[in-house]
Amino acid sequence: MSTKKPPYLGFGLGLRPQHYDDILNGSPAVDWFEVISENYMIPGGQPLRILDRIRERYPIVMHGVSMSIASTASLDMDYLGALKTLADRVNPKWISDHLCWTGVHGVNLHDLLPIPYTEEALDHVVDRVTQVQDFLGRRLTLENVSTYVTFGQSEMTEWEFVTEVANRADCWLLFDVNNVYVSAFNHGFSTDDFLHGVPRDRVVQFHVAGHSHEETHIIDTHDHPVCEEVWDFYREAVTHFGPVSTMIERDDNIPPLAEVVAELDIARNIAREVSESVRLTAAE
Amino acid sequence: MTSLKELQDSFQAGILAGDDAILGEINDSAREKRTVLFGVYRNAYVARLAEVLGNDYEQVHAYLGDEGFADLVKAYIDANPSDQRNARWFGRHLPAYTRTTAPFANHPEVSEIAVLEMALNDAFDGPDAAALGIDELAAIRAEDWPHLTFQPHPTAIRLTFDTNAAEIWSALKDETAPPAPVRLPDPQAILVWRQDLTARFRPLQAEEAMMWGEAAKGVPFGVLCEMVATFAGEDNADLRAATYLRSWIDSGLLRGCQVETD
Repeated sequence: MSTKKPPYLGFGLGLRPQHYDDILNGSPAVDWFEVISENYMIPGGQPLRILDRIRERYPIVMHGVSMSIASTASLDMDYLGALKTLADRVNPKWISDHLCWTGVHGVNLHDLLPIPYTEEALDHVVDRVTQVQDFLGRRLTLENVSTYVTFGQSEMTEWEFVTEVANRADCWLLFDVNNVYVSAFNHGFSTDDFLHGVPRDRVVQFHVAGHSHEETHIIDTHDHPVCEEVWDFYREAVTHFGPVSTMIERDDNIPPLAEVVAELDIARNIAREVSESVRLTAAE
Repeated sequence: MTSLKELQDSFQAGILAGDDAILGEINDSAREKRTVLFGVYRNAYVARLAEVLGNDYEQVHAYLGDEGFADLVKAYIDANPSDQRNARWFGRHLPAYTRTTAPFANHPEVSEIAVLEMALNDAFDGPDAAALGIDELAAIRAEDWPHLTFQPHPTAIRLTFDTNAAEIWSALKDETAPPAPVRLPDPQAILVWRQDLTARFRPLQAEEAMMWGEAAKGVPFGVLCEMVATFAGEDNADLRAATYLRSWIDSGLLRGCQVETD
């Protein structure tokens, strides 16, 4: 199994069909693209043809939404086989999915559902991650999700759970800056506790995204620009973790490519400012 | 303590069946009650699948209007919990559902519009295969032509409609007023396929539909010409068959040909 830490890729975007033409006809200032794996787990046609052309020019990362790693249902070997076939074609820099479950009893709820943070769930998830990594022949990268409920039976914090999964299953982490912000607001914990609670050497990617504030809770909708508070937390994350491959997720109300590229420049500028500040501090 | 399996069963029942037992396992937050917070998951399930159906069945939506389509979507989601990892195939039962479930079943054109949309979507991301080119046919020796068989492009599918659903679909796609639904005097054959990257369809006249059906079964060209002659007369039968074949090649409907050597 490949255990080498994935390379730093810079600043990327989620590949969306609305932007295909602008990407292929221009050379947008994007360092890499993340694709939703399921959107390309299809027999053929335009999406795969375009992905082939884009991957000739940009590094690609595969990001899944339905591995259901924490489900108590059996692992779906057909799904994993199709994922592996796509990976063989795309040669992604890494493969990620979410630390969550999406359904049981053959049903898929098409949502990233929360896990109770218990020893039982931990053992279960670690075992499943190990099985999937053995099958794929590579380490997985797992993302913390936005959650709206907590369970009475939880025995540890989310960051303790995430850390245990990463260390015991020997996988990488995708630190979703927005999801930490959303869950911290919804459940009343400190974003700093999460930030300092996960192992630095395991984090290989950041997500940033917009959300919808419903006053008493926040929903992770990916349909707005990234807000100031999330950019502030991103700055803290870059300061804490150092340079980490960063991408902006936008899944609804998708604006023209130029607008998302401009938003990506905010991330670049923050990372540059942090790096210059670190250099100045070191020189003093 | 409730096991992880029991907890997930209960959580799923809470989303799919409105079962509130799961609320006993989750906490109120400092700002909000657990019913509202769990409601985020209930709402998201329906909203996400409604969006998928709206994308996959744009013209069914246009034909039924917002309210009618919303009724269909709600009934379909209730009746068909998603069993697919990939939401791309969640709506695949909609043609059969509308054909067999009132009130849609009383309007057979609804199901046929859905059949056409699903076929176009399936063609769009169906299997790749290079289309048979005219140059390849030009290289066939004259004496081999009667023994020539053809393989349809893997995305090609023939549908049979009892209503003018294809005409309604085209009008809706063009954002013009659709014709009134009618039951056709004779069933209409429709070919759906992908030419290069574009999903297409076209109606077939009876003779061409017959020849396509036989060609797709591997009947050789010599026999196809005889069948065309029997179907609508011997005059120009070979020319008619050759014209159909040429149009299939120009449209990318065939992936290959071979000379049968038995």
